[in-house]
Amino acid sequence: MAQVEVRGLTKTFGPVSAVRDMSFTAPAGKVTGFLGPNGSGKTTTLRMILGLVRPTSGEALIGGVRYDRLTQPRRSVGALLEATGFHPGRSARDHLRVIAAANGLPDRRVDEVLGQVDLAWNASRRVRQFSLGMRQRLGLAAALLGDPEVLLLDEPANGLDPAGVAWLRGLQRRLASEGRTIVVASHVLSEVAQTVDHVVIVSEGQLRFAGPLREIGETNNALESAFLKLTVAPS
Amino acid sequence: MLPMIRSEFRKLTTIRGPWLLLAAGPLIVVAGVTGLVVSGGNVQDPAVQGQALAHVGLAAMLTLIFGILAVAGEYRHGTITDTYLSFPARGRVVTAKLGVYALVGAAAGLVSSVVALAVTAAWWAAKGGTFHLSAGDTWRALAGGVAANIAFAAIGVGLGALVRNLAAAVAVALAWIAAIEGIAGQLLGSGLARWLPFYASEALDRANLTSSARLLPQWGGGLVLLGYAGLFAAAAVLGTLNRDVT
Repeated sequence: MAQVEVRGLTKTFGPVSAVRDMSFTAPAGKVTGFLGPNGSGKTTTLRMILGLVRPTSGEALIGGVRYDRLTQPRRSVGALLEATGFHPGRSARDHLRVIAAANGLPDRRVDEVLGQVDLAWNASRRVRQFSLGMRQRLGLAAALLGDPEVLLLDEPANGLDPAGVAWLRGLQRRLASEGRTIVVASHVLSEVAQTVDHVVIVSEGQLRFAGPLREIGETNNALESAFLKLTVAPS
Repeated sequence: MLPMIRSEFRKLTTIRGPWLLLAAGPLIVVAGVTGLVVSGGNVQDPAVQGQALAHVGLAAMLTLIFGILAVAGEYRHGTITDTYLSFPARGRVVTAKLGVYALVGAAAGLVSSVVALAVTAAWWAAKGGTFHLSAGDTWRALAGGVAANIAFAAIGVGLGALVRNLAAAVAVALAWIAAIEGIAGQLLGSGLARWLPFYASEALDRANLTSSARLLPQWGGGLVLLGYAGLFAAAAVLGTLNRDVT
């Protein structure tokens, strides 16, 4: 069981402190919603967990191990990040084949995940021709490729149509029920209220709440009012 | 290291851009050799034959841009995030790219060499000259040309990893080729200028034997280029290790 543990994570970019002394745990077998207003440090935190951004202090552990010490990182952790890019001239299948080769995964996995995200029919098309929603599905396919125990998803519903959003909700629930750790950064509260078990709420780079969703109310309205109260700038 | 190399090859074989770029190399060679003959190059002179074959080294301009694409192209399209998620040990990523791109640079140089031999032999036959495959300079000129293709691919990888912004890296490379090195050469005087990359490359290609006094020996040119490649790559690796990828 690989939980995600963030301990005293801090990041300053010059004079700006993007994340301040952030600590929380995302338990295995649960979907944890990582919530906060724009610019509250969610993406920076996710990037620190993944070793892409170097913390000023503190650390993030996945199943007790830092990301850059994992022997086969993408078999342990799958990530969908907002700024992840695709080469416009590369086909969806080839994009995944590159990642498969990098992680010693068989090409059979590529076709499996393409089916899983419903892109099998478009797999040979160049990403240039993809809509935002299709790119999002391709990003999810890349995250799922290594069959990881931990998934970190940054705004995964971005660009998905209503059917896609419902599908994504089911996927997250199913993956969590298999014992995986899912962390979903989002600010679509109505969506989060239906999907997550745990919530971590941050604002201005600092933790405001971490715990089970039921502690702040499972209805959309309750979550929204709690969110607004917790993330309001202290005056 | 093996998965890293395999994925680098897959990155290259699944897009067209780099291959279109490299395909221009043999075209430059054909145009260059033809230009030399048409502009009155003496096909009876073995030195002119060497000059014709030295156009292989000119194609190294393209392997330079090709190398720049290795890392700067990944930043351009945002695929660098995926690469570092697969390989958090970033220094080794640049090393793997150096190896793969140098190898492809060598292949490009070999293709250009075959084309150079064929075109030169054809022109020499057409103009009534005698083409000597065994002339002392033939193999040295070609070997130097292939080495230049390899070295500039490696320099490109280092430069692209150092600058990261694709447009800026290409602009720096082109400005250096077109103007800066020439001016720097004049300012430094030939004693120092021969250590600059394109002077070294000229020595390696043995394209300009008439002014060879101001150039390093061929092997010296090769070593200097290797040094530049190593320097850029080392600077790039050091600059990459702790940099945030956002």
